[in-house]
Amino acid sequence: MIERTPILNLATHVILIFGLVIILVPIWLAFVAATQTLQAVNSAPVELWPGDQLWVNLQQAWAQSDFGPKFVNTLIVAIGVVVGKITLACITAFALVFFNFRGRVLIFWMIFITLMLPLEVRIVPTYAVAANALTPFQTIMDWTGISWLITALSGVEVALEWNLLNSYTGLILPLVATATGTFLYRQFFLTIPDELVEAARMDGAGPLRFLWDVLIPLSKTNIAALATIMFVYAWNQYLWPLLVITDRASYGMVVVQLSDLVPDQLTTGGGTPTWHLAMAATLVVMLPPIAIVILMQRWFVRGLINPDK
Amino acid sequence: MNTKFATATAVLLASAGTGSAEKIKFEYWYGLTGDLGAVVAETCTRFNASQDMYEAVCVGQDGYDKAVQNTIAAFRAGKHPTLLQSFDAGTADLMLSGEFYPVTQLMADTGVTVDWTDYFPGIANYYSSKSGEFFSMPWNSSTPVYYFNKDHFAKAGITEAPITWEGMEAAFVALKDSSQACGLAYAPSSWIDLEQFSMAHNVPVASNNNGYDGLDTELLFNTTLHVRYMEDVQRWMTEGYAMLRTQAAGKTTRDSFVEGECSVFFSSIADHNTIHKLTPSFGWDVQIIPTYEGVERKNTVVGGASLWVLSGKTDEEYKGAANYLAFLATKEEQQFLLENSGYIPVTKSTYEALKAEGFYAKEPFINRDIAMKSLTWSEPTELTRGIRLGGMIQIRAEWMAEVEAALAGQKTMQEALDTAVARGNDHLARFAQTYAGKSFP
Amino acid sequence: MRRAYFKFSWIAAALLAPQLLIIFVFFYWPSAQALYWAFTLEQPWGGGNTWVGFDNFRKVLSDPYYWGSVRVSVIYALATTVLAMTMALTLAIFVDRQLVGYKAYRVAIIWPYAVAAPAVGLAFQFVFNPGAGIFSYINSIAPGWWDLSKYPWQAVTAIVVAGAWKQVAYSFIFFLAALQSIPRSLTEAAAMDGARPLRRMIDLQLPLLTPTFFFLLVINITDSFTDSFGIVDTLTGGGPFRATDLMVYKIYADGFRGFDYSGAAAQSIILMLLVMALTFVQFRYIERRVHYT
Repeated sequence: MIERTPILNLATHVILIFGLVIILVPIWLAFVAATQTLQAVNSAPVELWPGDQLWVNLQQAWAQSDFGPKFVNTLIVAIGVVVGKITLACITAFALVFFNFRGRVLIFWMIFITLMLPLEVRIVPTYAVAANALTPFQTIMDWTGISWLITALSGVEVALEWNLLNSYTGLILPLVATATGTFLYRQFFLTIPDELVEAARMDGAGPLRFLWDVLIPLSKTNIAALATIMFVYAWNQYLWPLLVITDRASYGMVVVQLSDLVPDQLTTGGGTPTWHLAMAATLVVMLPPIAIVILMQRWFVRGLINPDK
Repeated sequence: MNTKFATATAVLLASAGTGSAEKIKFEYWYGLTGDLGAVVAETCTRFNASQDMYEAVCVGQDGYDKAVQNTIAAFRAGKHPTLLQSFDAGTADLMLSGEFYPVTQLMADTGVTVDWTDYFPGIANYYSSKSGEFFSMPWNSSTPVYYFNKDHFAKAGITEAPITWEGMEAAFVALKDSSQACGLAYAPSSWIDLEQFSMAHNVPVASNNNGYDGLDTELLFNTTLHVRYMEDVQRWMTEGYAMLRTQAAGKTTRDSFVEGECSVFFSSIADHNTIHKLTPSFGWDVQIIPTYEGVERKNTVVGGASLWVLSGKTDEEYKGAANYLAFLATKEEQQFLLENSGYIPVTKSTYEALKAEGFYAKEPFINRDIAMKSLTWSEPTELTRGIRLGGMIQIRAEWMAEVEAALAGQKTMQEALDTAVARGNDHLARFAQTYAGKSFP
Repeated sequence: MRRAYFKFSWIAAALLAPQLLIIFVFFYWPSAQALYWAFTLEQPWGGGNTWVGFDNFRKVLSDPYYWGSVRVSVIYALATTVLAMTMALTLAIFVDRQLVGYKAYRVAIIWPYAVAAPAVGLAFQFVFNPGAGIFSYINSIAPGWWDLSKYPWQAVTAIVVAGAWKQVAYSFIFFLAALQSIPRSLTEAAAMDGARPLRRMIDLQLPLLTPTFFFLLVINITDSFTDSFGIVDTLTGGGPFRATDLMVYKIYADGFRGFDYSGAAAQSIILMLLVMALTFVQFRYIERRVHYT
């Protein structure tokens, strides 16, 4: 704040509180549901005030889902995705924005298009790749006759296999493949003033030094935002982990367990509608992402970052 | 449930510590979630504890559709499980692909004994070929019934829960006269309103004996008694005897029933257990679904899912799977399932034994076996064996969307059903084209 | 794109290689196969397929209900994006003023993004329940007014609100990050020049936000086309009578649930082309107004 503006401040608070209430209503209702008994949560009207079953429900949900090890697994995967994604996005966008070559735009679009085909559509063939990540190379070598050549020359049969199922790699790599981070970094790099780049070049800095000494420090807020988003994104994955992880005890992820608490709508009846447990589990499951958000807040703070060097 | 887990785990740990040889593992992917999923997981634990040759690795797939879909993905990559729990609509493609091991043959090949004649015909027929060979193993079987509020019925002077639609309508009138605001909580359900209705009335859903006899099948339900029934439902809604109760409309039919708003709702017998857990504050009971007067009632068929054995696994895995399936068919394991869900027994001997023990005379199981009555009302006819249609999910969705439109007054029920049939036939034609030259085994 | 500085060298190739390799293996390779199915009739369990050329596309595009689905998808995308970005920008600008308690506001507004997708649908079932809260008041005044099983526009509103909810949090994070990286020296200089807060917002902050704005616009619209089936699934199931049958929901219902891989693949290609066209339009006509430097 630079000047004193009491009326504007009041208006600010009013608007923010209003926005807050709207935004938090669903979470409040979820919380209320998590505090009720089975009967209460299934009866209309929907309660607006909490009951007293929170601790009971939390315990039951935790025990039924065996969340402990799964929290650890999900943490490992999420951190892996964050590190991988930020690194990849940064270096790829850097190459696309600051290097001059034909096909820059084409490559950017090729990366960008990966956002437009949802995972569900391609999940069956993607699983086949996860089962053997070297399939594409195997197939290419077979088609072009290279494997035949290798076998003829050395007698060694080429059978590449890299099974990513039931592994952290299999969980992390496909999630790192999306384009959001690259696009974000592209936007940021495009805002770097020409003078800055010229100055670095005149200082004799090569591209990598420029990246490391100038760009990365400048992109701290971007890194913070992207890290927060990516952590939560990876934390909340359930469709892909459901498929590639059958060894749930060792590699299970939390939201897969959460989905397991909800009775399936396709059954012809029979499952008890344990919404209270599902909501209790939701509360637990969303704690680490919230913790990360709070943690990363420091990086959003103005003043810690000084972009004018 | 928690103490059972603890005991089972303790037993498992104890047995694991006795230095047993390497157990042969096989995987079983199931679709049930929530407490029913926990029951499945428990059967695996119990199986593993009961012997030390085989180990069932049971993986929950968070839903029937995901279970089948994930199995297909794994199958195409050669990493599929030995056993799959597939729901009814998921089986047509599997059957035509031939990528399964019929359980009758599996048991014969592995030398595991199962008494196939012990299964109720209404259940057996649904899962078998024309020659009586079981494709898949029944496990969680159910059939529809209707639940009614005994207190409301008593107040309205209804002494016996009706088993005809005419009687039902009279009941609705009586309920209204006794100032009951809502007689029937209704939500369109293709399984109950179309499929099971047609079974009970011995009318076809589709040609070729509901798809059994060939792939050039066409839907017929816009020409059968089903139309009259849906028109009656629509009339009851406009006259105030029935109310639409869906999740989107605010509460489900079950919620409406449990809180005492509506007096009747239709659902699977599997909900019997759930209703008990929700502890309604009034007396309630179940009855078989009604038929129209003058119609010779036939048996209804099962819903739920069955266990399929997939091709492409090793002999040892098959032996393990066979043992697990036989284990599930024993009286003790069936009883375990029945005690922890609303499902019904699948073998005659188990049912007789339970009846003799007074199982169905104690809460909360009283009168749950009325479902057996519905299932075994008659020997299955050509039309009441079951339904074998491709694109079943899409057909059900078309039916649902059209019926919703009719109930909202956008078109007449006949128009709605005609459209549903026309669009459904497109799906069937597409299915036939995909599997050209094949036929159901 | 802007003028680049460094000549192409092995460094650039090495920097590009990892991402390109990953998307080749995990996206292009599998997608090629999935999209090939659009030209055949694929049997789910393997075992063969029949080539049918453009038949699947013809069937999809000549289905009147499909065009309804396209329409509602476009409406959904535009409505959620406008709603989410407007709210997010407003909230970000006000939180950026860093008044008392702004840290708490920050966490609270970002919170929805942390909620897992299965739980979002469930939570919103409680919100939109005609028997609860706001809607029960409305319904007590005008009985039966709020009824998601009867009124298509209400169902569409419900999914738009549920869809925008998470996107507000997402957009807020980026808007706030962008606002916070505007150097304090600039705002102070503007204030010393006599510019009031509102003026500073219009002349200083908004133009500097345009790169982020563009990013969020593209991402929000793309995500609302490709990421929205979970919400439809739990809230409306595509109903009432197909009113909320989004394109991506149809793809899921047909392909994933209904085992019609070929039909779903054809629909996916159409969806991709639509999103590509929209993105292209945005890059072509909107990006030129973005102030990068």
